[in-house]
Amino acid sequence: MLRPTVRSWMLSLAGLGLSLASLCTAAQTFDYQLAPQQIAPGTWVLQGKMQDFSRKNGGNIVNTGFVVTEQGVVVFDTGPSHRYGKALRAAIAKITDQPIVHVLNSHHHPDHFLGNQAFADSTIWALPGTGQKIAQQGGAFADNMYRLVGDWMRDTDVQLPHKPLEMDTLTLGSHRFRFYPMTGHSGADLLMLDESTGVLFASDMVFYQRALTTPHTPGLDVWQQDMARIEAIPYRQLVPGHGPIVQDRAATAQMQDYLAWLDSTFRSAAEQGLSMIELMAMPLPGRFAEIRLSRAEFARSVVHLYPRYEDAAF
Amino acid sequence: MAKRTMSAVLGTMLLAASLLSSGATGAATNTAQADPLNSPMWDYNRQIFLGQMPWQFDARVQVSAPPFAEDPTQVPITVDASALGSEIDKVIAWADFNPIQHIFTWYPGDKVKPRVSLRIKVQQATPVRAAVLTRDGVWHVGGVQLEAAGGGCTAPSTGNADPYWESHLGEVASRRFGSEGSSRYRFKVIHPMDTGLVNNIPEFFLEQLELRDSAGEAVVKMQLYPPVSENPVFTFDLSNSTGQHQLWLRDNSGNEFEQAL
Repeated sequence: MLRPTVRSWMLSLAGLGLSLASLCTAAQTFDYQLAPQQIAPGTWVLQGKMQDFSRKNGGNIVNTGFVVTEQGVVVFDTGPSHRYGKALRAAIAKITDQPIVHVLNSHHHPDHFLGNQAFADSTIWALPGTGQKIAQQGGAFADNMYRLVGDWMRDTDVQLPHKPLEMDTLTLGSHRFRFYPMTGHSGADLLMLDESTGVLFASDMVFYQRALTTPHTPGLDVWQQDMARIEAIPYRQLVPGHGPIVQDRAATAQMQDYLAWLDSTFRSAAEQGLSMIELMAMPLPGRFAEIRLSRAEFARSVVHLYPRYEDAAF
Repeated sequence: MAKRTMSAVLGTMLLAASLLSSGATGAATNTAQADPLNSPMWDYNRQIFLGQMPWQFDARVQVSAPPFAEDPTQVPITVDASALGSEIDKVIAWADFNPIQHIFTWYPGDKVKPRVSLRIKVQQATPVRAAVLTRDGVWHVGGVQLEAAGGGCTAPSTGNADPYWESHLGEVASRRFGSEGSSRYRFKVIHPMDTGLVNNIPEFFLEQLELRDSAGEAVVKMQLYPPVSENPVFTFDLSNSTGQHQLWLRDNSGNEFEQAL
């Protein structure tokens, strides 16, 4: 009598456990729901959310893109996780049977290269400086991403770029790509212009309607000089690293405006003797207040950059 | 991984310590006041820093920090007790969850505003507290919760990888802002401020700071501890002191540094 009762009790417990487990799985499926948007012939962009990393968005705050040619696919940035990389690859496979030939990492920040594992059978290119920085800091970035977005990162490891990108142009099928190495955002930043469509993949050199980040900039002056070079690139559409795609010069104009304001604000704060806390509390001009995350990124930039302005003012 | 395990062990130890100490009652008048930052370290640290003296949480003691420790080795904070007036004996600042909690003890005196800004190291998310002792013998306690990814106290100083500090130790860069009488000093001191928590790097930090007026009287007198950041930057506001000032510092190796500001 006792045994069947206990057994059925245990069985029902097990059943409860199973149903709880399936409930949990259903609640969090870790699906990035990537929806490539075609912006030019053969050219698709996957626009991330204009947010900070979170367990809700799984780190999908970044714009990635790919170009389908007659001789294979070129991928620009691989996203924040192995899961994202696999989802990106699956999204490409729904659009074309062409093999993925070339993959580019625009720079060493985690949301741009941690999807590399899904493309290990292609050639992954990055600027030499980017490869070095990923080798030095990639592991720490991945650790931090696990902390920030949790299980979305499962099985994500650092896959280093295979080759240093030292060429100026690359032709694949009827597409001709021109590369612009810059340094303003992270110390090694790659921009790619598809000369056949006029689409410029601007990497994180350009943010639009989402505040720019400054943890590894060599200096706002360097970034401003690079922006002047970007203004001179004959693009018809610009894909920023974060934020909406533009057909005009609005994104670069906003960048120039914000960079100049940040530089002059830090300089005059240092001249007035403000502490970091006082500077962080400063009101932002209305035109920047509407940019996503402007308040939080301004505070981060104070920590990154204000010591240089203080040193100059002492 | 090692880091996580270490902090977990530390957390357990600290929790155990606070459970043990919670048996002993603190100042009888204050036991009803719950910690607004809800930290298991509150009772433990209060007894270490304030002993059995009367205390109260007091919004007039403002501790400001950014919402997140972007760089856990350089977290800007401001402690401002101006709203308490000038009857202040002593200010103690600490971070609840740091392996070394004590940040500074400061005797403001009446020639400086009771407000200081500096940068600190944090090991993990933590309340940052300031307790201000007024001349009536009561501690007034303020604080703020700081979020952090962690590691600030067990990361080697940048000086450890760059020998710059060896030839510039104790160098002071400074500037005075504003007019005579009511003016602000900001200064930066080159010092690694090593915590002693990194393998094979002994603790090496500035432990005394004095800002002296032309008569040699200390206008600012402060004891510093390893959570003060590397190459620290301080901001003090003088309220009632004119003329030239001299900065004097001594580290725990006995090196003394002096600089006219």
